[in-house]
Amino acid sequence: MWGVVHTGFGSWDALAWILFFGIAAFFLLWFRSLGRSDYKKGTDQDEIFWSSNVVPEDGAHISVPADAAYWGFRKGMEPFYKGLVGMHTGLAPDIVGWYVVVVAIMSVLILIV
Amino acid sequence: MNWTDHLPALLLAVPLLGAFVTPLVSLGGKMLRNTLLVVTTFVTLVIAFLLWKDVLVSGTAVYVMGEKVFNLTMPSGMKLPVRIILEADAFSAFMALCGAIASFAGALFSLNYMEGFSGMKRYVSLYCLLTVGMLGMTITGDLFNFFVFIEIASIASFGLIAFWRDKAEAVEASFKYTLVSQVASMVLLLAFGALYGKYNALNIAAIGSLLKFGFMEKIVLVFIVASLACKCGAFPMHMWLPDSYAEAPSGVSCLLVAVSQASLYGLVRVCFSLYGVTMGASFIPWVVILLGLASMFFGVTMAVVQHDIKRLMGYHSVSQVGYMLLGFGVGMLVLSDAKGMADYGFAAIQGGVFHMFNYTMYKALLFLAAGSLYYTTGKRDLNDMGGLARKMPYTTFMFVIAAAAIAGLPPFNGFVSKLLIYESSFAVHPSLAAIALISSVLTLASFVKVFQTAFLGPEQNAFLSVREVPSGMLAGMGVLTVVILAVSLFPSITMSYFVEPASKALVDQAGYIGAIMGGGM
Repeated sequence: MWGVVHTGFGSWDALAWILFFGIAAFFLLWFRSLGRSDYKKGTDQDEIFWSSNVVPEDGAHISVPADAAYWGFRKGMEPFYKGLVGMHTGLAPDIVGWYVVVVAIMSVLILIV
Repeated sequence: MNWTDHLPALLLAVPLLGAFVTPLVSLGGKMLRNTLLVVTTFVTLVIAFLLWKDVLVSGTAVYVMGEKVFNLTMPSGMKLPVRIILEADAFSAFMALCGAIASFAGALFSLNYMEGFSGMKRYVSLYCLLTVGMLGMTITGDLFNFFVFIEIASIASFGLIAFWRDKAEAVEASFKYTLVSQVASMVLLLAFGALYGKYNALNIAAIGSLLKFGFMEKIVLVFIVASLACKCGAFPMHMWLPDSYAEAPSGVSCLLVAVSQASLYGLVRVCFSLYGVTMGASFIPWVVILLGLASMFFGVTMAVVQHDIKRLMGYHSVSQVGYMLLGFGVGMLVLSDAKGMADYGFAAIQGGVFHMFNYTMYKALLFLAAGSLYYTTGKRDLNDMGGLARKMPYTTFMFVIAAAAIAGLPPFNGFVSKLLIYESSFAVHPSLAAIALISSVLTLASFVKVFQTAFLGPEQNAFLSVREVPSGMLAGMGVLTVVILAVSLFPSITMSYFVEPASKALVDQAGYIGAIMGGGM
C-alpha cells in the first residue's frame, strides 16, 4: 500500500486515517443536519451573545489577544520563564558567548570522557 | 559523455549565472528580472530533481571540476584527490532537491511580496547566491569548499536579512547573525585547517579513509559539531535565529530554513561519513542528543510565549532542529552496533532525514503564510490581528496544513517523521521520547494560539479592506502545500524513494569514501 509506513515497531497507514476522518466527517455533517430547521443565517440568530451586554462594533474589542493565551501556563511556569527569558538578552556578545561556552565545555569533556 | 554527467556542476552554475546576470538583465525592466528569478530557481529545481533521479539509478555522482575526465578523482600517480570534487550521493541529492523546492517557492512568493521595493536587483542577485551557497554545501565533497559555500551563503544572508535597511531591527539582526556566524565559521576553518595540516587532504572521503581518532581529531570534531550546530540554530547557540528569521523578508526566511538544513547536513555528513565509527558511541552522540532535547524543549517553550508571529516561528525552528538532532544522535549512538542499528538506529536516522525534508517544507510554508499576513495587514504582532480567515481563505487553508504538519498531527507528514523519532528514541530511554512528545504538544498549543488569534474571531474594523494575497504569493505557498499533502498521503513512496536511499547513503561510509578513493579504505 502507498500509504503504509513500517517503522520497525509498528506501522502507520495514512490512508486508513484519512478514511477515518472521512467517516467522522460524514457523521458530523449528519448530526449537524439534524439541528434546528428554523435557523436562518444573517438574522438576529447570528448575533454574538456577550453576557447580555451590547456587542462592540469593532471585533478587535472582543478578541482574545495572543498575550492572554495560556496565561495560567505562563503564570505557573514563571520561575522557569524568568530564567529562560533572562538568558535571551539579545546582546551580540552574549550570543557569541554561549557559543564559546559550549565549544569550551565540549572540548574539555571530549578529552576527559 | 552524457550531458547528465554535468548535473552536479550545473546545479551550482545555473543559480550562480542567475546571480551574476541579474544586474544586466535588470536593465531590461522589472518583468525581465522577475522572470529571471523564477526561471533560474525553476531550472535549478529541475536539475536537482534530475540529479536525484540520476543518483538513485546510477549511484553516487562524482564530478571533478577542471578535469578532462569528469569522474577521474585521482589521476595516475596521485594518492589523494587534489582537485575540487563534487560528490552527490542519495543523501546529498535529496537535500539539494529539498533546498531547491524551498528556493523556487520563496522566489515565486517574492515576486509580489517584494513588489514596490527598490534595490530588487540586489535582492535577486543575493537570493540566487544564497541558493548557490546552500546547494554547494550539500553536494561538495571537499571540506574547504564546504567552508567557501557556507561563506557564500552567509554573506548573501547578511545582505538579505538587512534588506530593509531602513529598519533598525533588520540591521541589528543582520549584525548579530554576521558576528556569530563569522566566529563559528572561523572556528570551522581552524578545524578544517588542522585536518589539512595532518592529513594533507581536504577531500572528505580522502580524510575519512585515513582518519585516526586522536587528540587533535577530537578537538576538530568538537569545533565542527559546535559550529554547525550553532549555524543550524541548536540551543543554546540559537539566539541569532529568531531575530534573523523575523527581520528577513519572508521569501528569504523560507530559503534560510533550507540553508540551516544545509548546515545540519554538514554536521551529520562529518559525523557519519568523515568520522563514522571511529567517533565512538559515547560522547559526541550524547552531545548531539542533548543538544537536540534542549533545542526542542527550550525552543518550543520560548515559542509558546511569543506574540510576534515570525519570532514565534523562529523559536519553532530551534525546536524542530532538536527533533532532527535527536534522531541523528540516536543513530550515531549505535553506528558501530549492528543489532542496535537494525533494531532502532536506522529508524532514528530515517526519522531525522525525513524530518529535515518535512521541516523545510512546512516551516518554509509557515514563514510564507506569516509573510502573507504581514503583507495584507502590515503587522507581525498577533495581539493586533484577528478574524483574517474570512478575508484570506486560501492563506488560512495553507497555514492550517502547515501548522498541523509541524505539530505532528496525523495524517500529516510531520507525524510520520516524528513517529520514527519517538519510537527509536524510546528504545534508548523512554525519557527521550517523553521530552519529544511534550515538545510536540507545546508546538500544537502555540500554533492553536496563532490560528485562534490571527485567523479566527470576529471581523476587525482595521482589516475591513484586507483581501487575499496576490496569485504569485499564493503560488509560492501552493508549491509547498502540494508537496506537504503529497508526502502526507503517500508516506511509503516518500520513504522508499527519498528517505530510505538517503539514510542508507548516510550510514554507508565505505560507499561515500569508495566513490572517490576507488573503494580503497
